[in-house]
Amino acid sequence: MKDSVQRIVIVGGGSAGWLSAGVIAAEHRIDPQAERPFEVLLIESPDVPTIGVGEGTWPSMRSTLQRIGLAETDFLRECDASFKQGTFFRNWLTGDGDTYCHPFTIPVDFAETNIAPHWLALADAPPYADAVTPQSALFADCLAPKQITTPEYAFVVNYGYHLDAGKFAELLRKHCTGKLGVNHVKANVSQVNAADNGDIRSVTTDRAGEIEGDLFIDCTGTKCLLLGEHFQVPFQSQQGYLFNDTALAVQVPYADADQPIQSCTHSTAQPSGWIWDIGLPTRRGTGHVYSSAHISDDEAAGQLLAYIRDVAGDDAAADAAPRKIRFEPGYRQEFWHRNCVAIGMSSGFIEPLEASALVMIELAAGMIADQLPATREVMDIVARRYNRKFLRHWSQIIEFLKLHYVLSARADSPYWQENHSAASIPDKLREQLAVWRYRSPWHQDAEAVDDLFPVPSYQYILYGMGFRTAARPTRSHQQDQRQRRAAELFRKNAERAAQLQQALPGNRELLDKVREFGFQKL
Amino acid sequence: MSQYETLNTEQHGHLRIRTGYGKALGDGIMYVMTYPMEFRDIQNCYPILFAKDPNTGGFYAAALLGFEPDQNLFLKDDGWDANYVPTLVQRQPFLIGTGGEGDDRPPVVSVDLDHPRVSQDEGEALFNDDGEPSEFLNQKIALLDQLHRGLQHGAGFIDALLQHELLEQITLDLAFNDGSKQALEGLYCIAEERLYQLRGDVLESLNQAGYLQPVFMAVASLSRTRDLIERRNRLRP
Repeated sequence: MKDSVQRIVIVGGGSAGWLSAGVIAAEHRIDPQAERPFEVLLIESPDVPTIGVGEGTWPSMRSTLQRIGLAETDFLRECDASFKQGTFFRNWLTGDGDTYCHPFTIPVDFAETNIAPHWLALADAPPYADAVTPQSALFADCLAPKQITTPEYAFVVNYGYHLDAGKFAELLRKHCTGKLGVNHVKANVSQVNAADNGDIRSVTTDRAGEIEGDLFIDCTGTKCLLLGEHFQVPFQSQQGYLFNDTALAVQVPYADADQPIQSCTHSTAQPSGWIWDIGLPTRRGTGHVYSSAHISDDEAAGQLLAYIRDVAGDDAAADAAPRKIRFEPGYRQEFWHRNCVAIGMSSGFIEPLEASALVMIELAAGMIADQLPATREVMDIVARRYNRKFLRHWSQIIEFLKLHYVLSARADSPYWQENHSAASIPDKLREQLAVWRYRSPWHQDAEAVDDLFPVPSYQYILYGMGFRTAARPTRSHQQDQRQRRAAELFRKNAERAAQLQQALPGNRELLDKVREFGFQKL
Repeated sequence: MSQYETLNTEQHGHLRIRTGYGKALGDGIMYVMTYPMEFRDIQNCYPILFAKDPNTGGFYAAALLGFEPDQNLFLKDDGWDANYVPTLVQRQPFLIGTGGEGDDRPPVVSVDLDHPRVSQDEGEALFNDDGEPSEFLNQKIALLDQLHRGLQHGAGFIDALLQHELLEQITLDLAFNDGSKQALEGLYCIAEERLYQLRGDVLESLNQAGYLQPVFMAVASLSRTRDLIERRNRLRP
């Protein structure tokens, strides 16, 4: 085949590089015996440490790992991973200790019933998540989403992971090179060489010579060596919508080795940002992400240490030495240009609220693996489609994250006040909120079937944060049946929650068992 | 709860064991563990299925005796209504394991003092007046010895099944004459389609390990489910 795409060159390791390599090589088997073998080659700098951003995943990671061919038991053991069932928000609404949950399980009977209006009509309504899914009832006691008898990657309630990003990249590297035939080159790229038609022909490295390729994947992080530096694709800042641009990250030890491991990411709002807290089996990972325009680094560090003192004690706070990460929130104007596509932080980065970094890598790698252009001739078509899809994903991230700030009633600092300014709210979000004042979001509110944040997520944030949708002035002919059905669903959900609280083990107990016995494959 | 002690004349010289079968003797069980060397006898009476240990998630083979917790369809007023009683039932209230250290550890017999078969004044004596094991105990020890060899032989069986993907999930959809229906879940059986596609070298290795015949015995045993349904129908017509 003329101009066939045979050789994929990934520049940069880390979660982005190795996940991309794994997904592509798993889909396109590398057969060295073939006359013109398909190749995946990853160039990793031996001198640049990975940034290790993204320690929370979505449930999608289960299918991604399965697709790559990793056993869940190996993944859990080697990446110090734990189960993540959603996010627990504190102090986002008023700052007076208010809480709500965004669980991964969608509301009961969501396909058939929009339960939100029925919940809104309840006199003594329990919190939205508690009323419509059994999952949030597991969070207080740090319960696991499955049992040791549940097969690998299967669940009782939906889950993703918390993981050690450094160890994750290491496991992926081992798997990609050992099992999937990915070629690993340890070298620094010193130069990008253009072909006559304007594509990238090759990259020159300091210790592995010149490396040619048909498709180049830029996983060089914020440096964005190929798409940014070489092709000069502009970066579009989104700081006007989402102010956070700095993170202080620190690992915190458990007070004792048997301390329960949280079932979800904890997100606690602060005067000028918020603090994340995720539980791994061996440690917690915490950090303060904030807007440098609204608070000094020292003050932000003070708030982080106060939080650590609160949850982990004085000693943990005294030993904490946070690492500062600066970032500009935003993304590239396009992600696939000519024969180069950026994945990971090179394509864009927004604060870790709702943990979208890893899932965006999975989606990008998945689309490239599925739609891999057979020839250079069709690559531009695939690139256009890819750019449309990912622009939609990025703008939805902006809108959905901003929703958390817009719904807040906090006005205790300029940060929260400015978050309510009209100019800082994307038009689409403003329109959605206007419509949802009179009608609860449901299936028709999805823009596409593959929306990054599905409608249930909007419901959890809206009704978790006290948003009110007015009762419809008209009644359906099926109103009575629907009301009976909803009452039945609320009752069954409460029953199921009580049942699961009895049946499910604690996260630590289950992870200990995984360490000892492992999950069965069936 | 169970309370096992290593069997010895000093502590247990006076103990007696109640014989026969019945709910009161601890036989009201829905299934009992079995092992490949016993499959030929088991398949003649009971379906052989695979279940997961709730504590480890690991698979084990079991003979199905009933369809509900504590339901043993083979228990009758006058005993156990089958021509073969599973070894793991016959061995009660004893356990056999390896004690001590080193490569050549001898099997050690323990007794569960909390088992309803254990008595001070009723049943078969374990030891004669001279402190020597009774004929009854010797028979039990012979049975336990057989069990011990069976468990050792079967130690690699589940791994072999998993390695060749010979297990698959099965839901027993049951319909009884009284109109009631039941779906029994959480069970596994031999994946027959996979079995019939195994290559010669795999069949040979399974055969050499003594696992091939038990695999087919387990396949055949599923026909016994009909007999269990009949028993359940007679119970509640």
